[in-house]
Amino acid sequence: MKRFLGTLMAILREIADENAYQRHLKVHGAVHSGEEWRRFCDEHWNATARRPRCC
Amino acid sequence: MNRFLGRIVWALISILAAVAMGVIVQSRGEPVNSLWLIVASVCTYLVGYRFYGCFLAARVMALDDQRATPAERLRDGHDFEPTNRWIVLGHHFAAIAGPGPLVGPTLAAQFGYLPGALWIIVGAVLGGAVQDFVVLFGSIRRDGKSLGQMAREEIGEIGGFTALITVLLIMIILLAVVALVVVNALKGSPWGTFTIAATMPIAVFMGFYLRYWRPGKVLECSALGFVLVMASIFGGQAISNSATLAPWFTYSGVALALALIIYGFFASALPVWMLLAPRGYLSTFVKLGVVFLLAAGILFVRPQLQLAPFTRFVDGTGPIFAGKIFPFCFITIACGAVSGFHALISSGTTPKLLAKERHALSVGYGSMLLESFVAMMALIAAASLQPGVFFAVNSPAGIVGATPAAATATITNWGFPVTPADMETLASDVGEKSLYFRTGGAPSLALGMAHIFVGSSGGRAFLGFWYHFAIMFEALFILTILDAGTRVGRFMLQELLGHVSPKLGRTNWMPGIMLTSAAVVAAWGYFLYQGVRDPLGGINSLWPLFGISNQLLAAIALCVATTILIKMHGARYMWVTCVPLSWLVVVCFTAGWQKIFAAAPALGFLAQADQLAAGPQTAETAALIFNARLDAAVTGVFMVLVTTILIDSIRIWVGILRGTREATLTESPFVLSRLAEEV
Repeated sequence: MKRFLGTLMAILREIADENAYQRHLKVHGAVHSGEEWRRFCDEHWNATARRPRCC
Repeated sequence: MNRFLGRIVWALISILAAVAMGVIVQSRGEPVNSLWLIVASVCTYLVGYRFYGCFLAARVMALDDQRATPAERLRDGHDFEPTNRWIVLGHHFAAIAGPGPLVGPTLAAQFGYLPGALWIIVGAVLGGAVQDFVVLFGSIRRDGKSLGQMAREEIGEIGGFTALITVLLIMIILLAVVALVVVNALKGSPWGTFTIAATMPIAVFMGFYLRYWRPGKVLECSALGFVLVMASIFGGQAISNSATLAPWFTYSGVALALALIIYGFFASALPVWMLLAPRGYLSTFVKLGVVFLLAAGILFVRPQLQLAPFTRFVDGTGPIFAGKIFPFCFITIACGAVSGFHALISSGTTPKLLAKERHALSVGYGSMLLESFVAMMALIAAASLQPGVFFAVNSPAGIVGATPAAATATITNWGFPVTPADMETLASDVGEKSLYFRTGGAPSLALGMAHIFVGSSGGRAFLGFWYHFAIMFEALFILTILDAGTRVGRFMLQELLGHVSPKLGRTNWMPGIMLTSAAVVAAWGYFLYQGVRDPLGGINSLWPLFGISNQLLAAIALCVATTILIKMHGARYMWVTCVPLSWLVVVCFTAGWQKIFAAAPALGFLAQADQLAAGPQTAETAALIFNARLDAAVTGVFMVLVTTILIDSIRIWVGILRGTREATLTESPFVLSRLAEEV
C-alpha cells in the first residue's frame, strides 16, 4: 500500500512537472527560488507547448 | 508447478473472455448487463498483452535491456531522462487520452453497442496498440526522433513532407470538431457556460499563483484550482436559477463559436505560463480523476445496456451521422481503437524518458489498451441511456423536426419510444431548459455518466450537479486541446513559413506570432462556424472528416512501422503492421470516396452541394454549397497525401524484398546500458 501510494504521488509529481523541476535544479546545480522556477518554466513550458496532444 | 499454474490462469482468463464475448454477441431482445462488456474487454486486453504484446516485444522487436536507451545515452536532465516505467506510463496515458475515446464511441452507439464494442476491443489489441508500440520502439532506436523525421529517413523526403502537411491539416479539423462539441454542449445553457467561463479566470489566477506567489507548488496550485472549479459548478446552478443573471450566460451556437475563436487566438498568443500551462495541469488531473471515478462507478452500479446490440441505422440512415456501419463505425471510433495521433506522442516525449527498452511494452502497448478501456466506458455510459433519450439529445433538428413534439414523434416511429414529457422532466432534473438537438456526443455522454454517478452516490437530487460536473470535465479538457493545439499549429505554420520569410519563422517576433496565430484560428474557426451553421448539426460532416484524417495519419505511421520491420526482418513479420494498415486503407478510402461522391445528399459532400444548388439561392445557400465542396476537397487532399506516402512506401518495400534496394536501418549504434535494473 505504501509503495502504491509512493508511486501514485511520484506519477502526480511527474505530471505536475515537480520532478522535472527537481532534475533541473540538480543538473544546473541550482537551489529553489522564484527566479529559478520561472527560468525552468519558460524553458520547459515553451518546449512542452510545441508538442501535439492527442485527441 | 508455477508454470503449470500460470497456464491454468491464462486458460481461465481466455475462456472468460470468450464466454463474455459470446454473451454480448449472442444476446438479442433482453438487456445485457454492462459487466459483460467490462469482462470481455479486460480479459481480451490481458490475453492480448500477455501473448501478442509479449510476442511483438520478444520476437519482432527483440527488445534488449542491455541496450542503452536515448534517455540514458543522451541524458540531459531536461528532455532525455531515464524515468520509472509507471511514471512514464502515467505521463504517456495522460498525453494520449483526449476527448476522442469519449465522444467517438458515444456517436457510434447509433449503430447499437455491439459494433463499437467489438471494434474498440479488436482494433486496439491488433491495431492501435501495435501502432503505438512499434512507433515507440522505432523512435527509441533512433534517438527519440519524431514520426516526420522517421518518415523522412526511412521512406524519403516526400514521406517526411507529406507527414508534416497531413499533421497540420488534421490539427485544423480536429480543433474545429472538438470546438463544435463544446459549442453544442453549452448553447442555451447558462449553467454550463458559466462553469466553463469561470475556468478561464481560475486558470489565469493559477498562472500568477504558480509564477509569483507560490513558485513550484504545482500540486498545491492544482488542488486549489480544482476546489475553485467545483465551486464554479455550484455557482453555475445559482446563475441558471436567477432570472436576472441567467440571460448573461445564455448564448446561441454562433455566439459561443465566436467566443471560442477569440479565446483560441489569445490562448495561442499569450505567454504559456498565464493560461495554457495551469489549465493543462488542472485538465490532466481532472481527466485522470474522472476516468477512475467512472470506472469505479460502472463497477459499482453495473448498469444494464438499454440500447440494442444493433439498431436499424446500420443501413446508413442514422440521424447522428450518415453512412453504413462499414466503413463509418470504424471511422467514427478512432481514438479508443486506432488513432494516428498517438504516433506523434509515441515519437515525442515518451521515447526520451524510457529507461529500458522492455518498458516500451507496458508504456506503448499497455497505455493504448487503457485508452481503449476508457472508450469502452464511454460506450457503456451512452448505451445505458434510454435509447429514445439518446437519439433525442444527439439528433439534429434538420432530421427529426424542429419542435419537441415532432422530434419525439419521429424518434418514437423509429422504434425508440420517448415523449416530450420524458425530455422535459430530464432537462429539469439536470437543470437545463432543453436537451433536444445537442449534437456532438458530449451532452449524452454527460447524461450517461451522471446516471452512473447518481447510481453510485447521491441519489437523483444530484443529477444536475453530476451532469454539469461531466460537462465541465469534457469541456475543460477539450479547451485544453483547443489552446494547446492552436499553439502547436501556430508553431508548425511558423516552421513552414520560416522557409519563405525567416522573420515569420521566429517564435519571439510578436507580429509573426499574431499573424500565424490568427491564421491557425481562422482556419479551424472557419470549419467550426461552418459546423455551427450546418442544418444537419455539423457533426455529420466534421466528425467523419476528422475520423478519416486521424485514421489516415495512422496509415502513415503504420507505413513507417512496416518499413522498419521489413528492413529488420524482410517479409517475415510485415503482417504485424500490414494487417491493420490494409484494414485502415480500405476503411479510410471507402469512407473518403463515399463522403465525396455518394449520391445521397446526407452522405456525399458533392451530392449535398448539388441538391442545394438545385434549390432557391440565398447568400446562406451559397455558403453551404461552398462549404460542402470545401469539405469534399479537404477529404480529397487527405486521400492524395496518404496515397503519395503509401506508393512511396510500397516502392521501397518491393525494392528491399526483391533485393534491388539496400535495407539500410537508421538505428543508433548499440551502447551497453549501465543503468541499474530497478529504474
